[in-house]
Amino acid sequence: MNGHCPGHEHLSRRALLKGALATTAGVAVANWGGLFNSQTIAAEAQKRGKRCILLWMNGGASQIDTFDMKPGRSTAGPFREIKTALPGYRICEYLPKMAQQVGKLGIIRSMRTQSPDHPDGIYHMHTCYKQSERTPHPELGAMIAKYLGQADADLPSFVRMGPTGNAGSGYLGPRYEPFSIDRNGKLPYFTSPYLPAANEERRNDLLRAIEAEHKKANGADAYESHRVAKERAWRLLRAKSLFDTSKDWPAHEALYGATDFGRGCFLARKLVAAGVPFVEVGQDNYDSHADNFVCHKANMQVLDPAWSGLLIDLERTGQLQDTLVVWMGEVGRTPTINNRAGRDHFIRGWTIVLAGGGIKGGVVYGSTDADGREVAENPVSEGDLFATIYTALGVNPREKHYVGTRPVWATPEGSKPIKALLS
Amino acid sequence: MPDAAKRTSPDPMNFDKATLLYSLPWDADWVSAVSFVGPKHLAAGNNRGEILIWDLSAPPDKTPEPPPEKNKPASNASSADKSEKPLHAALPPVRQCVGHSNVINRLLAVENRWLLSASNDHTLRYWDLAAAPGEPAKLILNARTIEDIARNKSSGRKSPPPLEVTVKTQPSARTIQGHEWIVGLSLSQDQSTLITGDDAGNVILYDRATGTEKKRWQVKGWAYAVALSPDLQQACVSERYPLVFDSGRHNAVKLWNATTGTVQHDLSKEFKDLQIAAAAYSADGKTLALGRGGEADGTGGKIFLLDPATGKKQRELTPGHLNGLTDLCFHPDGKHLATSGRDTVVRLWNLADGKLVKELGKPRGGQFKDWIHALSISPDGTRLATADMAGFVHVWQFDA
Repeated sequence: MNGHCPGHEHLSRRALLKGALATTAGVAVANWGGLFNSQTIAAEAQKRGKRCILLWMNGGASQIDTFDMKPGRSTAGPFREIKTALPGYRICEYLPKMAQQVGKLGIIRSMRTQSPDHPDGIYHMHTCYKQSERTPHPELGAMIAKYLGQADADLPSFVRMGPTGNAGSGYLGPRYEPFSIDRNGKLPYFTSPYLPAANEERRNDLLRAIEAEHKKANGADAYESHRVAKERAWRLLRAKSLFDTSKDWPAHEALYGATDFGRGCFLARKLVAAGVPFVEVGQDNYDSHADNFVCHKANMQVLDPAWSGLLIDLERTGQLQDTLVVWMGEVGRTPTINNRAGRDHFIRGWTIVLAGGGIKGGVVYGSTDADGREVAENPVSEGDLFATIYTALGVNPREKHYVGTRPVWATPEGSKPIKALLS
Repeated sequence: MPDAAKRTSPDPMNFDKATLLYSLPWDADWVSAVSFVGPKHLAAGNNRGEILIWDLSAPPDKTPEPPPEKNKPASNASSADKSEKPLHAALPPVRQCVGHSNVINRLLAVENRWLLSASNDHTLRYWDLAAAPGEPAKLILNARTIEDIARNKSSGRKSPPPLEVTVKTQPSARTIQGHEWIVGLSLSQDQSTLITGDDAGNVILYDRATGTEKKRWQVKGWAYAVALSPDLQQACVSERYPLVFDSGRHNAVKLWNATTGTVQHDLSKEFKDLQIAAAAYSADGKTLALGRGGEADGTGGKIFLLDPATGKKQRELTPGHLNGLTDLCFHPDGKHLATSGRDTVVRLWNLADGKLVKELGKPRGGQFKDWIHALSISPDGTRLATADMAGFVHVWQFDA
């Protein structure tokens, strides 16, 4: 398993400023601001208040051990099926709470993708484009931040926690870079002012006055980007209390499960309620080349309450109809069980699950063959998946952007949304 | 042969001339557990929850094994061929114990008659081998090999003839329902008390004869390896909870007062980050053997000998099993310990000096080649059986 904690999980001063920049309206970031043409659908989608939470199963969860079980086959493994709320459809015994939520789910059992390893798979499943392309494509979160984010919000529009994507905002530029935090919502020490609030305010006023004098004296605002970013950072810090889950987490711990991932899901629910359009929560680590069943059993016992708790909480707070919840990783896992009791990477027929905003619940789309070795019907590509996600959220999947003079679309040519899953 | 073996002093049991008697084929799924039942019978369980019984008292057929298939690539089913050639042709199984529906994790025998099995189907079952058998059933012992070849026609391999046998089936005599995968199962020296450990963290002591619960307690993680001291006063329980990042990996080893269910010695600091996969007390109760499992790095599948009274480590046996140890048991002579690992070998150790006496089988190529899941030594100490993930039960003979 990959045991290294990637650098992007850690919040730095630079990341904090980037997060502030991501919510800044009208900030012309050098080399980026004029490159894209994007206004068409964003306003309409913003009005609808659509949100997206991505539950990222880092390393790649096994479809046969979760939502596409193969009882009685040589590929089955030791997990057993249980009934779900959907007649005739069964899932893994270690997802009992999710079995009761199946009526909210759109389950795609026929993902056939192209990138079999971790870095390329993570990139591909976050952008719907191959990592090998020269164009730096933006992650799903950056795209949603651009089209569904509120320009004047205090909060960042793309927040992520735990192990997540590796592409960032790509050609959309640093305005849409992710704002990475811990799953407990704790912000780093330097976000706490070391001066009393009144002193801090006087100090900031002094900086504003000096920069205003400089602008007046020189006839130009050479530090505008920096100044506006600082203003946004100050505003973000005023909203800092939203990230603090210490007071309300105890009342939700039983619902989500007493785990980091569960707490991250709860924080994601809070953030989307506050207007953050995209939150990604990662769960480590499904890369079970060895001891797959022990790994998955343990992970599912964390996942099951967290994911079901999130859906229940979103429904209870009236957010589910506008919040799309995506469950996926970079790859599936092989039907064949290797002789380390593991399953390896698999891209020929695996499962992704959608729920909530824009998705028709209680639908199982596509299938694999008897042993799960190939897609039997309705293959779905990365582009098809993203077209479905964008459509559910009210974003045009064929939105065109320009990188220099080159047009680039939100999804690759030929990508089609899965109509059977759209409500 | 390791140098250590050459230095070993003469023993009543000549391990150095160990002979592979049988490689009993059974490739329906991984063979996961094995136990001798008295002097005659051998039982093995697999990942499907099936249990087969062989009668080893039948006169061996000295017909040599057929040659390996030509053009057959390395695979699970062929792995055993590379290790050793058995002296005798394989015996057919005579009986099948029917009832489990998931992985057999542990098998053990009592009074030369009873077989006990712990399974991922949440049950502990008793099987009476003296009971009259039931209906016959037909089995194909190499069904998986045939199925794999049929599916991968492009491999060019020729399908072997089916090894079809008829066995008598029998149901379990008693079933004890648990809550989770029952991974740990052990028996006290006097055969009066059973101890089980499951993935819900339950440690339970049972009266072996009646199956009634005597004592239970809960551990923090998943109870994994369990063992009971000969005087029934102490239980060793290892714990695992394999979440790597989310809530932290939890491993622990503790010695419990088996009467009160309270901790006597917490060894978790000394065995920090080590997943102890197997534990056993010596017959005199003076030594507790622990083996590191999981997919340990390098030769990290170490064996530790402890003083159970103090919990202090007395000796470490090296080299450890490459990629992790799977099982261990004391030899009835009280002087030796047998261990198996993911490196496809069995090792016999001299307890007095900690030296490696003998290695059985050959490594098949590191972490990507099968495991020996479990081992068992016959009550008279002359035979050793292993459960080979490649789809075999191997039986070794020691010369007295």
